[in-house]
Amino acid sequence: MLKLISPVPVFCSAAIFAAALPAFANQYTIFVGNLAFIYIILTLGLNLLLGYTGLLAFVNAALFGIGAYATAIARTKFGIPYGFALPLGGLAALAVGVVVALPALRLTGLYLALASISFAQFAVWVFAHWDPVTGGPTGIRMAAVAYGFSGSWETVHYYVSLAICIASVVVTSNILRSRVGRSFVAIRESEVAAEGLAIDLTRTKTTAYGLSALYAGIAGGLFAPILTLVVPESYDLFQVIVQFAMVVVGGLGSIAGAIFGAVGLIGVQEALRATKELQEIAFGGMILLTVLFLPSGLAGLLRKYLPEWREPLRRRGDDR
Amino acid sequence: MLPFLLTSGLTTGALYAMVAIGLVLVYRSTGHINFSHGELFMLGGFFAYSLIMFAGLPYVVALFLAVILSFLLGVISDRLVYRPLIKAPGLTMVLATVGFSYLLKGIGRYFWGGKGEYLSIPAIVDPAPIFINDIPILPQQLIVLGAAVAFMVAFALFFSRTKAGKIMQATSENPTASYLVGIRVENVYTWTWGVGAAVAGAAAVLMTPLTLITPDIGATLLIKAFAATILGGLGSMTGAVVGGFAVGLIEQLASGYIDTSLQEIAAFLVIMVVLVFRPAGLFGVYGQRRA
Amino acid sequence: MKRRILDLGALALVGGLFLQGPAKAEVGVTDTEILIGALGVLTGPLYHNGKTIYDGVESVYNEVNAAGGIHGRKIRYVREDDVCKPDQAVPAAKKLIHEHKVFMIHGGGCSNASLAAMPEIVQAKIPWVITASTAPQLTDPVNPMIFTTMLAGWMETEGQLQRAIDLGAKKIAIVKQKDAWADSRYKPLLDSMKARNITPVADEELSPDPTDATAVALKLKTSGADAVIGVLFPKAATVLMRDMYKIGYRPIVVGGSAISDLKAMDQSIGIAGSLDKFEALAPTKHPDDPSVAKWKDVVKKHYPSDTFMTWHLFGVASGEFMVAALKKAGKDLTRESLAKALSDLSVESAAYPGPMTCKPDNHQCYRSMAWFSLRGGEVKQVGVTHLK
Repeated sequence: MLKLISPVPVFCSAAIFAAALPAFANQYTIFVGNLAFIYIILTLGLNLLLGYTGLLAFVNAALFGIGAYATAIARTKFGIPYGFALPLGGLAALAVGVVVALPALRLTGLYLALASISFAQFAVWVFAHWDPVTGGPTGIRMAAVAYGFSGSWETVHYYVSLAICIASVVVTSNILRSRVGRSFVAIRESEVAAEGLAIDLTRTKTTAYGLSALYAGIAGGLFAPILTLVVPESYDLFQVIVQFAMVVVGGLGSIAGAIFGAVGLIGVQEALRATKELQEIAFGGMILLTVLFLPSGLAGLLRKYLPEWREPLRRRGDDR
Repeated sequence: MLPFLLTSGLTTGALYAMVAIGLVLVYRSTGHINFSHGELFMLGGFFAYSLIMFAGLPYVVALFLAVILSFLLGVISDRLVYRPLIKAPGLTMVLATVGFSYLLKGIGRYFWGGKGEYLSIPAIVDPAPIFINDIPILPQQLIVLGAAVAFMVAFALFFSRTKAGKIMQATSENPTASYLVGIRVENVYTWTWGVGAAVAGAAAVLMTPLTLITPDIGATLLIKAFAATILGGLGSMTGAVVGGFAVGLIEQLASGYIDTSLQEIAAFLVIMVVLVFRPAGLFGVYGQRRA
Repeated sequence: MKRRILDLGALALVGGLFLQGPAKAEVGVTDTEILIGALGVLTGPLYHNGKTIYDGVESVYNEVNAAGGIHGRKIRYVREDDVCKPDQAVPAAKKLIHEHKVFMIHGGGCSNASLAAMPEIVQAKIPWVITASTAPQLTDPVNPMIFTTMLAGWMETEGQLQRAIDLGAKKIAIVKQKDAWADSRYKPLLDSMKARNITPVADEELSPDPTDATAVALKLKTSGADAVIGVLFPKAATVLMRDMYKIGYRPIVVGGSAISDLKAMDQSIGIAGSLDKFEALAPTKHPDDPSVAKWKDVVKKHYPSDTFMTWHLFGVASGEFMVAALKKAGKDLTRESLAKALSDLSVESAAYPGPMTCKPDNHQCYRSMAWFSLRGGEVKQVGVTHLK
């Protein structure tokens, strides 16, 4: 029997819907859609660390910024076309991510969380103070991307983000099916047992940090042009919290969860605009309600109501 | 210059220590870091502001009422949020406290945000500086310093000498075993969140004349308190206070001798550098607690 | 034959559409309503720069609406939050333009946020009157649709420097924050100093939310500066003034537009005489000035929980300016007719010490600032500067 409610058909229909959206949406909706794709990529990356490898590292907001800055600097200072500047942004984040990973390897639990939050704040400080390179607090202004198609460049950019987003989902899913993905989960469950299985902790953890950084960097490269302005305050503590909330609300250790979390939170954030001055209360309240009623995230709902929903290396039960 | 910097380092350090004490208290008993601790502080300050400015109460009465209101806020938040999540994963709890911090910040802004750029309450003593060996100190700073040490001693004794203190530590070490020996873990947690919030409220009442309060002060102070607890090793009351002084001193010295732009980032650099070389903090023992 | 008739019909229809073109109603304008969007900060640390200003703007609009509106149309003012950040400003601007379909935008408080929203607004060709963003790039070069009723950042620091010199400063030091707000003032300040051949004797940084400023105060003192120019938010300025007083250092201090509430500063420091040599500028008059008492009551009526502040006066002035422009644009209101009315307009508001004057080649419509000082526990306006 053909299972319609299983990851592949559902994901394909979602992708087709996303591809058709610009035909009947205004510029605002397209922008929000584009933002959702960027955050899906980010959430997938952060989920590799938090959800699959079990590392409480919050460096991705900073790496997101580094990707955005690197892309903007490559374009504006060196005149590199966007097609090359975007992967450069990803590689810059990857390089920083691996360098940061080395000292972070010794840390676990809340110590790792606090150290990585500190790094995120330090990165914002560097963005604001390294004037000759980052433009200081006023940041870097970037022209629209000339894609060479007629029509709105933002719509073209929407499709570029969509394509990279789909690729990220497929790549993530394949990584998780591979030996590397299984090593991530082995480390999450027990570092001692993982070592017993001849898993190289240093190499595997560094791989997780690096992969996660690459996702964040590419997302940053996609994010920079839609704002036209790359400035420090876009990558501050709130960015850390939003990405973290997406992973937890979606559900740790689930690809579908990462997608639900990113799309859901972007949607809620935009919907909360209607609350005006009460936006902070609404945002905090919404997070509280979600964790109270869905403590294991939206992916927990899937597990509960669709037990036949199969994902690679999904978490069983609680992770306490 | 050095004596001035050392003095102001100690007096600002006392501010951070006051905030860190509440953070450590909650961690000691529940094993969770309360990311909304800074916002509890902020609301404690606003409570005191309203009690003094609008209800016209004397400072000391306002202090007690603000502390009681903060305690109730802590108990209510426990009943609404933390108790239902008692069995949820640790990360969910982190997100819950983060969400709660936004909720409180929004409430603070809604009720007190339109009243001015920042709010303050009058100092408990004459605000003019006094001189000790020609070094100026604000009297209120001495009060905070004294309070920080007093709170530290009181809580250290509480945890080591009283049954309640030992029960609180037991619930954190092993909740399941605590249930088995007949400890009502939920009730211990309720008390802890309440007392943690009350400590934040007390800190706020004493510190507001110095720090001035805005709805956004929570995050700034919380991060300094984190640095203090990391330096002292998560979970050590004495460590938190010593760590607070250390962060204050490092900030002042870095700002005075290297560059003033380092003042706001010094706390983060401290956290990173310390953890790279001592993964469980300066006074922590590695592997003792994995949260 | 049948086909030709269809073609003719289509032609007539197309022609009709073209003829209808100029007469059709403008976006966001009906016979009874004008929809105006506010783009600015409503939440987050800098919310005063938006929320409080819009309370001022909307107070003016509410009064006008209560008096029957403008040419029979009432103004509806819809706010979108940019949280003072580019990543929120872009969707907020898009939402105003594409979802709310506003006639124009009246707002903008943070420079980085406004600069990020600018391409979207320029592309949509809708009028934009800025209430508080101070980046000069917003109105220079001139865009036919964009105007500002706020000083540019460089004007403030130019004024601050001149004031310090007028007060007899010989050695000048700078204390600034490191953010976009301060940067749009700090860089022009360095230029102004260079143009006068002045080198700052110290250039220090203070965070907007400090708990202590002793180290900064000590460094200023050792530099021997007799005047300090502060590019700071109120809280940072208050802490700095307290700690400078504490270490016994009393230079002239000239503050910028954000710190004109000297009374609140004085009360928080609580030490008599600590602000004796402090002066601050504001684009507005002081909230306690008798000439703005009427607006104090109006704002109180519409926003009872607000304490009347300088920020409200920004909004009141900009609101009065907008009302005058909408009246001048006439009954047949279009975006073009409004832009035309705006480009040659002079309005006096009780909230501002000088007029707001737009010219076709200059959309930086405001250039005056008042100086405040504390005299005997009361805030006094001690001077007004009108820049060319």
